[in-house]
Amino acid sequence: MSEIVTIALLGQPNSGKSTLFNTLTGLRQHVGNWPGKTVEKKEGSFSYNGRIYDIEDLPGSYSLSANSDEEVITRDFIASGRADVVCILADSSQLDRSLFMTADYAGINVPCFLVLNMEDVAKEQGKRIDINIIEKNLGIPVVLFSANDKKDYDPFYKVLERAVADKPMINTSILEAGYDKISGYKEIKEMIPEGLIDGYSSMWIAIKALENDPVVMERLRESLDPAKTDRIDSLRDSIQGAVETGGAKFSWIDSVLEGAVSEKTEKITLSRLDRIYTDKTWGKPAVVLTILSGLILSFIPALPLMGVGMAVSALKAPVGKLLFSAGCPEIIISIINSVIIQSFSYIFQMLGFVFGVTLVFGLLEEVGIMARVSYVFDNTMGKLGLQGKSVMPFLISFGCTMGGAAGSRVIDNWGQKVLTIALAWAVPCGAAWSVVPMLSTLFFGPGAVLVIIAILLTMLLHMWITAKVFGRKLITKENRYGMIMEMPPYHKPKWGALLRYVLGRTKDTFVRVTRVVLVVCTLFWLLSYSFVSGSDPVLYRIGMAIEPVTKIFGLNWKLFMAFVASSIGKEGALGVISALFNGGNFYGAFSDAMSGAAVASDLNDTLISNVTKPEALAFIFAITFNMPCVVALAATYQEIHSVKWTAKIAGYYTIGALLLAAIVYHIGILIW
Amino acid sequence: MDRLLELLKDGHARTTLMLASELNTTVTDIGRKLEYLENMGIIKKVSLEEPSCVESCTGCSGCGPRESGKSSKCEGCMPDKEILNMGEMWEVVHHG
Repeated sequence: MSEIVTIALLGQPNSGKSTLFNTLTGLRQHVGNWPGKTVEKKEGSFSYNGRIYDIEDLPGSYSLSANSDEEVITRDFIASGRADVVCILADSSQLDRSLFMTADYAGINVPCFLVLNMEDVAKEQGKRIDINIIEKNLGIPVVLFSANDKKDYDPFYKVLERAVADKPMINTSILEAGYDKISGYKEIKEMIPEGLIDGYSSMWIAIKALENDPVVMERLRESLDPAKTDRIDSLRDSIQGAVETGGAKFSWIDSVLEGAVSEKTEKITLSRLDRIYTDKTWGKPAVVLTILSGLILSFIPALPLMGVGMAVSALKAPVGKLLFSAGCPEIIISIINSVIIQSFSYIFQMLGFVFGVTLVFGLLEEVGIMARVSYVFDNTMGKLGLQGKSVMPFLISFGCTMGGAAGSRVIDNWGQKVLTIALAWAVPCGAAWSVVPMLSTLFFGPGAVLVIIAILLTMLLHMWITAKVFGRKLITKENRYGMIMEMPPYHKPKWGALLRYVLGRTKDTFVRVTRVVLVVCTLFWLLSYSFVSGSDPVLYRIGMAIEPVTKIFGLNWKLFMAFVASSIGKEGALGVISALFNGGNFYGAFSDAMSGAAVASDLNDTLISNVTKPEALAFIFAITFNMPCVVALAATYQEIHSVKWTAKIAGYYTIGALLLAAIVYHIGILIW
Repeated sequence: MDRLLELLKDGHARTTLMLASELNTTVTDIGRKLEYLENMGIIKKVSLEEPSCVESCTGCSGCGPRESGKSSKCEGCMPDKEILNMGEMWEVVHHG
């Protein structure tokens, strides 16, 4: 009884190894690192019944495959023979999962015993475990106890002594019968003589070879004829071997536990809400309804900030009057009114959307609904190379593309996020829906319905083509695989955290977007301002110069300028048309249009007499599928953090809109 | 296990509950098999907390410095303090 016995503690993370180790060793322990590794090495000792036990707490690992340093260290130590007996720990509250380590250990030629830890948790779950059945099936001593119950370690010491005395090994006959069914296993095993690698049976090595374990394969290449290892390589089919060996191990675990664990039967039931969301017929309509409701609701918290934006715009007149009376030069007044005040008016209105959308959709995510949205639309989105949750930005984009871009932040993969925003730009926004029906009705009367239908069909085609164009660079093939989800339970939102998050995002957006909006607005102001009295603004001169080209797209220079203005905001296009076709002051018309001023009352007559139907159709398509607006551009940059990709998308839409206009124009010529 | 992998690779989204129902088993059984496949590198858990810049983020200025073989927190992929209640998600990464 005087020899020192070495025990190795083996178990998955959270199996209670550290608790057992600390309780057994107390202060008699040493912590260091495994040689050449940054993996922690814990050693200690204790004595029981006059015998000294050295104990090695092996690194926690899922299995004994060579997937990590921890796993290689663990199995090398065991196979080295330095441990007299290995104590395998398993979580008794989830035996069918945690016995995997035991299944992976089976076939290692070192005596062992099994500790079913966390008996207390299993009891709380209503599980009753018959260790006699498990012990009989495994052929090794088994103890059921709780390592954190420091007063009751006797059962542990008893099985330890039994294991030391009997040197038991796991009975692998049933396990190997399962392995025999795996294609190639028998042939590989026959090529591996017993004792080829110390500590491991030929069964264990053959299984690891099938699993393509790199360390085992290297040892085999060192020990076997090249012809044999070549044959093993040919028998091993990529991941299929690992799948089949895993399946055999789980089947064996089930056979070991058969009749040994009694528990409540697990019922497969869905909540009422989930039954609706996952229903093949009603799932998608339910999700669309939820998103649309969210969109409508997001306007409520957005309203105050949108009101602030409008109030800022209303400052222009009194500020202008004040500056004028103070003798301020006209150009300075114009800069303050048209650039600074107007820009901040846009920004505050945009922040209203950011705040509302982030709050409502953050709430949907927080309570668990977004997970259902992702699931329901995954298959549809998968066809475009996207995730299910991409549908949310698309739906939001019907209201506001900027909101759609902001909504894309729930998409974790950067490439998918960029593609989602790129596709969301194709969805006509609320501003487009306020301009397009009016122009369609004006030029085509009842035929406006057909124009709207054509626009919706073009939208779908545009999204499909855009997905093909950008998807190749943004989405790798791996991104397109199916999704497995464990849906989160519904729970009440944490309002404090939610508001902190929403306010943080709104502030970040304010800072980033202010810079972009100020630059773009300054540029358009410069182009539309007449610096020398009586001379043509730059915008006019440019328009006349480029008209030969813009005509190709079915747009004369005036329509083209309106098209350019629609890049700032769709609603601005109408005011610019009115001014240009009436020959008014360009700067004033532009400024009014950007301020959301009313369209000139004689616009209808002016347009009908000056614009042909093909030109009108070309213009409608051009502004609908043009870059949505400058705030959408800023929001896109805000979400994807890439100047290159923001510019690519903007350029693609600008060129695409002109090409669409050209196609539509020439079709229109054939019709009218 | 073979059938489970076939279902995972067919490109359709499924919940663990649906997988259990289709394979006539329990959610616990599906859970342990997903854990195994994940450890063998056949499927990958989708991380919503620390999206990787390494794999797909080629033009994102939000990426921090990259260490070889390691992912870095990408501001462009997922803003800080993101609200998370999206459940667990996995995707097949090994198509062999």
